[in-house]
Amino acid sequence: MSDRPSFGVEARNVLLVAAVFALAPLPVLGSSYYESVLAHLVLIALLAVALNIVFGHTDQLFLFVGGLAGLGAYATGLTADALGVSAWLTLLPAAVLCGLVGLAVSWVAAKRNFTVVLISILTLNLQLVFTEVFVGARDITRGSTGFPYEYFSLEVVASAVGVGEKLVLYYLVVLLLVLTLFLYLRLVHSKYGVAFDAIREDEIAAESIGIDVVRYKTIAGFIGAFLIGLIGAFFARESAYILPGSFTFLAVDVIVLIVLVVGGLRTTLGPVVGATIVVAIEEFLSSAQNLQSWRTAIFGALLIVLFLYFRRGVVRSARETLVDFGLMDEGREGGGGGPTTDGGR
Amino acid sequence: MVTVSTLLGVAVDGLAFGVFLALLGVGITLVFGLGEVLNLAIGAFAVLTVLVATVVVNAGQGLVVAAVVALVAVTAFGLVVDRTLLSLVYRSEGEERILLGIFTTLGLTVLLDGVLINFFPSRYTLPLDVGTVSLGGAVLTGSSLAVITIGVVVLGALFAFLRGTFLGKATRTVFQDERGARLVGVNPRKIRTLIFVLSAAVAGLGGLVFAVGSAVSVASGFQFTTFALIISIVGGVRSLVGAITAGVLLGLVNQFANFFVGSYIATIILFTAAIVVLLVRPEAIS
Repeated sequence: MSDRPSFGVEARNVLLVAAVFALAPLPVLGSSYYESVLAHLVLIALLAVALNIVFGHTDQLFLFVGGLAGLGAYATGLTADALGVSAWLTLLPAAVLCGLVGLAVSWVAAKRNFTVVLISILTLNLQLVFTEVFVGARDITRGSTGFPYEYFSLEVVASAVGVGEKLVLYYLVVLLLVLTLFLYLRLVHSKYGVAFDAIREDEIAAESIGIDVVRYKTIAGFIGAFLIGLIGAFFARESAYILPGSFTFLAVDVIVLIVLVVGGLRTTLGPVVGATIVVAIEEFLSSAQNLQSWRTAIFGALLIVLFLYFRRGVVRSARETLVDFGLMDEGREGGGGGPTTDGGR
Repeated sequence: MVTVSTLLGVAVDGLAFGVFLALLGVGITLVFGLGEVLNLAIGAFAVLTVLVATVVVNAGQGLVVAAVVALVAVTAFGLVVDRTLLSLVYRSEGEERILLGIFTTLGLTVLLDGVLINFFPSRYTLPLDVGTVSLGGAVLTGSSLAVITIGVVVLGALFAFLRGTFLGKATRTVFQDERGARLVGVNPRKIRTLIFVLSAAVAGLGGLVFAVGSAVSVASGFQFTTFALIISIVGGVRSLVGAITAGVLLGLVNQFANFFVGSYIATIILFTAAIVVLLVRPEAIS
């Protein structure tokens, strides 16, 4: 059922990733452009990890990642403004609010036995409601023009260490990524992971051996949505601007889905690898003058090709190649597994 | 004070919008009912049709010629999509096929958007100059009346096709029982192609009737798709009658909400209606 490497191997990999990201800005130190690109990359990876928990592990296709992230950002910023307190204080409540939205959706969906199509349509509709509210509730959100915003003051740290605020923010999101990845590892290597696998494999069978399907799906929904809301706040902080346009379906969900599938559903490092590849392509396309106007088209084509031919993801393919060449021992729990034939459904 | 004649005018415009919604909903319903593929690119098909028609009109042709050329073009495009993308999707079964359908058509939408925006950067309307019609003191939009007429004729023809012809009956067989259909010699794949092409044409027509009243941009495509989804949710994703009823009903609701409380709230009402229906009776569409 599970083909994942042992906890120890995965934890080591995460630390390796942490080290790589910690060193990444050094060659480009001082270039705020590259620091932005790197931070953007990490944030996209984070969103993909969150979606991996709900979609990858419990088959709940949330198509309102952008909406939830936006809700997290708007709620954090607006309540901080209204109450006149630091956004650090409103961040968690805002994320919990997002988590509760995810929890409600998952609970209803699990209770009523929604198929994956129903969940995707439901969440897509919610996404559009969110976007509509962000744009339409002009008095509160300042409509489609958004507003510049730099909540989370990082000045203190920045001046103490003597580096730019952008760099501090970057290391902050890297820290968030490492913590999230460890949370993810803890989750899938615990009884939750086992339950998730069982539910995905056969929901009725899982139910019959005493797994509370509704409970596990709801928990996954809460964790996923909570993380998305939290990341959303940092997303807006990174661009220093809250704009409804940056939280739409086409701006967020499509990218995050591509990232997750390219990297590999249900893998720990898939979201990170996927984000690296996708952001690299993004940067290449926007730097090449003659390709810029074709960016969207290329992404669309990429989405089609990936889903038709490449649902297994880079991480899984790479791991198998390495094992085939004897460059990596399998390191699997109980030597179980065998090739995953289901790819990523 | 709102007069009865004003309300009548709103109702007629609402019906016209309803026809547009019904056509999109029918487009989605046909394909999902038959092949379990949720065509998220349906809005892009509608927009594509409008754009082709615009090009033909700008080349100096009449509106009818433009509409015909555009519908032929979108039908041909539908055929290409069916032969390529959908053939790959139909290789898998069950839930996997559904997911694959969602993602490939989503990719197609993004691809089409990305390509079209390069050639059609602004907003386009089709010139249907029929002025207004006075009816017992009420001033009705001529184009709305034309749209309603077209809608009734086309949807009527569609029903006649499904109920009356052999091909239509074969289609309904596949709707109900794919294996049974196979046993009596109906090739489900061929029927699926036919229906997909038909749904592309129907959606294309939807785009055309929308464009005689309002401007269409490339970005409208995704919005159209969500409208289509809402209609199919409210009407039941496998029921044509449901799709048409839901389309007309929500068209009216939207237009009246638009008139009384403004477009932003109207859109939210539309989405909320879909969510509520989804929560109240999901069995209708699964």
